[in-house]
Amino acid sequence: MLREIFTPELFASAIRMATPIALAAVGAAICERSGVVNIALEGLMLLSAFFGVMVALLVGNTWVGVLGAVAAALIASALHAWASINLRSDQIVSGTAINLLAVGLTGFLMEAVFGQFGSTDSVQTLPPVFNFPNGGPGLGGTIWTWINTVFLSYTPLVYVGIFAAIGLTWALFRTRWGLRIRALGEHPRAADTVGVSVLRGRWVAVLLSGLMAGLAGANLTLEQVGSFTENMTNGRGFIALAANIFGRWVPGGAYLASLLFGFAQALQLKLQLFSDKIRIPSQFFSMLPYILTVLVLAGVMGRAIAPAAVGKPYKEKG
Amino acid sequence: MTDGKRPDDSRTGGLGEPGAQELAERSYAIEQQKVNRVIRIVTPFISVAIAILIGSLVILASGGDPVAAFKAMFEGAFGSQRAIGETLIRSTPIIFTGLAVGFGFRAGLFNIGAEGQLFLGGLAAAFIGVQLGSLGWYVALPAAIVAAALAGAAWAFIPAVLKARTGAHEVITTMMFTYIARYLVDWMVAFVIRAPGTIPQTAELPVASRLPRFSDLLPFLEPSRGHAGFVLAVLIAIAVWVILRSTAFGYEARAVGFNQSAAESGGISVGRMTVKALCFSGALAGLAGAAEVMGVHYRLFSSFSPGFGFTGIAVALLAKNNPLAMIASALLFGAMSAGAGTMQLQTDVSQKVILVVQAVIVFLVGAETIVTWVIGRVRGKREVAPVAA
Repeated sequence: MLREIFTPELFASAIRMATPIALAAVGAAICERSGVVNIALEGLMLLSAFFGVMVALLVGNTWVGVLGAVAAALIASALHAWASINLRSDQIVSGTAINLLAVGLTGFLMEAVFGQFGSTDSVQTLPPVFNFPNGGPGLGGTIWTWINTVFLSYTPLVYVGIFAAIGLTWALFRTRWGLRIRALGEHPRAADTVGVSVLRGRWVAVLLSGLMAGLAGANLTLEQVGSFTENMTNGRGFIALAANIFGRWVPGGAYLASLLFGFAQALQLKLQLFSDKIRIPSQFFSMLPYILTVLVLAGVMGRAIAPAAVGKPYKEKG
Repeated sequence: MTDGKRPDDSRTGGLGEPGAQELAERSYAIEQQKVNRVIRIVTPFISVAIAILIGSLVILASGGDPVAAFKAMFEGAFGSQRAIGETLIRSTPIIFTGLAVGFGFRAGLFNIGAEGQLFLGGLAAAFIGVQLGSLGWYVALPAAIVAAALAGAAWAFIPAVLKARTGAHEVITTMMFTYIARYLVDWMVAFVIRAPGTIPQTAELPVASRLPRFSDLLPFLEPSRGHAGFVLAVLIAIAVWVILRSTAFGYEARAVGFNQSAAESGGISVGRMTVKALCFSGALAGLAGAAEVMGVHYRLFSSFSPGFGFTGIAVALLAKNNPLAMIASALLFGAMSAGAGTMQLQTDVSQKVILVVQAVIVFLVGAETIVTWVIGRVRGKREVAPVAA
């Protein structure tokens, strides 16, 4: 049975399942490094997943749908940024408001625009970037099949996630911009004193996180499912926050942590196929990613150190 | 509210009058406090008004008539005895979840997972209600209610301990526990405590373990489904208010919520208090599950809560975490939810619009500064605020 479970498809599925979480988590790393908690990821993903499908259906082009998804997430992020940076309101409360808004607005618009309950019409999903045939029998063929399936079988945003994780890790630790972002999250007063604009830096970080969450939502609907279902994010935004913490607020680390959650998700889906053989109800498999999130968070906390000023509003000296 | 700027008795020998400068400063401080207090009081009302306005715009944008929609909503919430009963029914669970979230906030915790604790409360109430239903209401009712509270507390226990021991943020852990609770209840009603039949649900509660309806006592209220859970909710709200004000537990919870390190130096164990406070919050949320199962559905099925736990966040924020104000705040959201069905039937506006209104209220009340900013804008255009002489 193990050979039936641990196929190349399982690992490819793990990376696909990890991608929406990873995209959001990579953005969250930048956002929290700048000192702003983005608990709104769940809502941002939900909004962008919906608007991606809506725009794609209206325009008839999935790529334009991706733009729509990103735009929706950016607008909602701007709201979060305005409230939490300019007006210095509680970041967790303003994020929660966006999460609630996302559930309400997507549900409302689904009925108002599509006249439907539950889920929308389907769109043409984005095709994989490469399209190589799998290898034949024999060792060489098997190796090629593994490489092809595990590395070369994905849709565009999956690769965007990988490059974003690498690029943003580099930017955060090797550029002047990254140094400034990190300073804002550790000691905003010091950054302000030497002339770095806390407001502008945090705005950029929150919007960047919104952009990534928008891509995450787009990946869900426009690459994976093809249609929008109510509450389809199912806690992925919160799991992304946990992944960011597990990845120690490093974009690359957040990506790797997301792989763990993606793997759990892929494995539980695979195991559900065998649930009649192992006689465990499917609900327990469905619980696994959430249980894993709690375990990971409990295991890593206390050893991982958050940016010192994260969650604290900052008032610029006039 | 404290005399932070009391004249320095040692310098003036305890007799001297405060200087003019000092007097001016004090009167300015008092003036500021008054302004702040007024803003604190009007913020919730302005927030609701703005939220309804934005809700109207959303309805308008989707081609509906907001005036007709809100009129229908009002009618559905207060237009008849039945409607008022529905408003009370919808308010009941969110008084509990509002109290749960609000108590958490007072202790510095954000129990975003009240929904999960509510599920466990419903599960316990359904199980105990069926098991002990034959023992008479005086056993079954209290047993089921207490079981629901304990189950809710138990569901908050692990996130609470993790928070206290490792610092794992309760927003993520209680949220994860909400998803786990949903699957757990899904599994229980599908297999473990499922009643015979095609629908996955538990057996109906025997009459002894149902919360009595108002119409049982006052038959002329017949068309209303209002039940004693509302009375229980009001009593619990008063109890939580008393606990926060006048007990050591409430004082310590507030102290931890206000300033952890000060509380710690004052001899309060922050970790232990965190566990106690989150479990207490969970118990309150568990009662919401009991109210739904024992007062409305008389059984448990997996979709028995349309997100009462999350509405509790809005209820608590609008009430500024004051347990008594929670009753009014829950009645507002309860009325919206009760009226939304009528609104959808009569004007074809999706009832989901109330979720948008809720979210806007959370946003505005949470960001008190937004309302202050709006007030400032309005004021700044009209007149210059008078300066205290």
